[in-house]
Amino acid sequence: MSAGDDQHRAAGDQLLRKLATFGRILREAGVDVAPHRLQDALAALAAVDVTSREECYWALRCTLTSRLEHGEVFDAAFAAFWERRAPDIALLERAPATRPGTEPATPDAAEGRHPQLADEEGDDDGESMQGMAWSAVERLRTLNFAEYTEEELHRSRLLVERLARTLPMRRSRRLRSAHDGDRIDKRRTLRGAMRTEGYPIVRLYRRRRLVPRKLLFMIDISGSMEPYARAMLMFLQAAVRPGAKVEAFTFGTRLTRVTRELARHEPDQALRAATRVVPDWAGGTRIGEAVKALNDHWEWRGATRGAVVVVVSDGWERGEVELLSDEMARLHRAAHTVVWVNPLAGEPGYEPLAQGMAAALPHVDHFLPGHDLRSLEELAGVLESLSDDRIARMRAPAVGTSSRSA
Amino acid sequence: MTGAPAAGPGPAQLSVEDVTTQLREQAYLADRGLATVIAVSLSLGKPLLLEGEAGVGKTECAKVLAKALDTRLIRLQCYEGIDVAHALYDWNYARQMLYIRTLEAADAAAPDAVDDVFGRAFLVRRPLLDAIDRDDPTAPVLLIDEIDRADDEFEAFLLELLSDFQVTIPEIGTLQARRRPIVVLTSNRTRDLHDALKRRCIYHWIGYPELARELEIVRARVPDAPERLAAEAAAFVAGLRGTDLSKAPGIAETLDWVQALLSLGEHELDEALVDATLGTVLKYHEDIERIRGRGLGDLVAHSRREAAALASRT
Repeated sequence: MSAGDDQHRAAGDQLLRKLATFGRILREAGVDVAPHRLQDALAALAAVDVTSREECYWALRCTLTSRLEHGEVFDAAFAAFWERRAPDIALLERAPATRPGTEPATPDAAEGRHPQLADEEGDDDGESMQGMAWSAVERLRTLNFAEYTEEELHRSRLLVERLARTLPMRRSRRLRSAHDGDRIDKRRTLRGAMRTEGYPIVRLYRRRRLVPRKLLFMIDISGSMEPYARAMLMFLQAAVRPGAKVEAFTFGTRLTRVTRELARHEPDQALRAATRVVPDWAGGTRIGEAVKALNDHWEWRGATRGAVVVVVSDGWERGEVELLSDEMARLHRAAHTVVWVNPLAGEPGYEPLAQGMAAALPHVDHFLPGHDLRSLEELAGVLESLSDDRIARMRAPAVGTSSRSA
Repeated sequence: MTGAPAAGPGPAQLSVEDVTTQLREQAYLADRGLATVIAVSLSLGKPLLLEGEAGVGKTECAKVLAKALDTRLIRLQCYEGIDVAHALYDWNYARQMLYIRTLEAADAAAPDAVDDVFGRAFLVRRPLLDAIDRDDPTAPVLLIDEIDRADDEFEAFLLELLSDFQVTIPEIGTLQARRRPIVVLTSNRTRDLHDALKRRCIYHWIGYPELARELEIVRARVPDAPERLAAEAAAFVAGLRGTDLSKAPGIAETLDWVQALLSLGEHELDEALVDATLGTVLKYHEDIERIRGRGLGDLVAHSRREAAALASRT
């Protein structure tokens, strides 16, 4: 009889060990399985009919994953580990960092690609654009962190910090106490009234709190944009942090969300993750489709609504120009402000000749160059100025950025 | 879970089978996945986090669960700016003022008047306090709806509450849940929830059902609808989901639509009817235009074929 118990316990131990291994496989595949989740998984298995594959599958899935995107990886791991089916290696290699609904990542990434691939974008009037792009690229090259002079490095750090600090603000619905507030703080007023025999003589106030406005970056990483994209991602890294409400996307032929990678301070990985899922680098940029993907999948989730959207691209559209125009209009309707940063715009005598750029411009509130450090400073300045008007006015004298305040 | 209150382990252990049947009795058809996840959540006494597109029945799931378990549903709808005074408790200030005035008039300023003023009689109970401080015979279902709309601070506060189900009101003391409520959180994923909160929950993503199941849902929810109408409408909506839309219609839209068509006294779909009622299904002007541009006649014909194929299979 005690032998039976032992047997039972041994079976339990074995199951726990198996679960632990399974958890490790999931972790290696990029699913964040906290240790105590294994306990939950074990308890969950006890709550279901273990002879049913489906019930076991769901019991493990609901305890070990907490993100829809991990479903695919989980399926592959489940099949491989518990059913000994040949795993889909590509899936297990790394959890897809994409938004829901994107096709699984293609592992054959164009890792060794080079900005020169941009040459294949050669249209007739592409030549002149190319020429301009190249000189700008060369200039930005010197911005590579390794090649910064001491002074530039210092300047860029300050800039990164400024960018991160001066996110546009808006007034929240949440109230905080403030002596210059505009609503009575009933709780604290009444409490104070106790001291004055119940007469609320001293009135205390609350006002709406300031919170960062949503900020969404869309960065073109197609061949010709690559050096700028790298620099932009570096800057973004400082801005993306918990509570900052910053979202970052990259696009070439497809939109990829990279907020998580950036939050983990892995800008290179973010770039790699983004490029991994772009099947055809040489295919050029489909800005319209990327903006459409953003509108379709993120608008109703509120990512773009009331947000400041910053598009970083040379506007070199390979897809339909009408689509880009329609989708930019839609984006503009949902967003608070649309800023377009174009590295080529820094060129003397630049005109938005690229058809895509011309189509997008009517739906852009601020059009800025983005080819060097100074232009990024300008971007930070624009973002700063986008706070709610009243806030901007409140802030202007203190910060001294506005000429009015002088 | 350590140092858990004297609360019972929740309702008696339910098998997946039981959950499915009991929900079905309330006209809610849960698939095997959802039923399993609910059973696990009940058994482990952990909050259930349901995510999914709008209109797939996340909120409904909690409501129906309360009915099936024959217990009270307490609902907290989250929104931007929600805080403790909205979610947990507040003081009835007007009443407090009145009480103080009365005391004064009666010239009866007793030393413990202050205690009175901050006593339970002046407490406004909000949903979370209601879920904790209550003497129900069964544990209530606490639905925390659209948690993604609340801000980070509120999420952190909730995290604390969900871990030990006790709250401290400085003026009154610490209140501890006698029965741990069954917690269901829903999220539309307008933003990522904190990992710490997710880790505390049993997680499930509710997707769109297959056509056959959706038809079953329509039958259960709109029992008066003619079979053919229900099947064609369900097939039409399923077809829409496959296309390129800003906002794909959920099950809620299918049900609304069938209800609308029923009230018009229709028995089958036709192009003119769809054209007139498309706004029940699609809520974006661009989507409606896009689908119209694709030719409603073809789509109707296609959904008829689908419905017929489904009927012949069963």
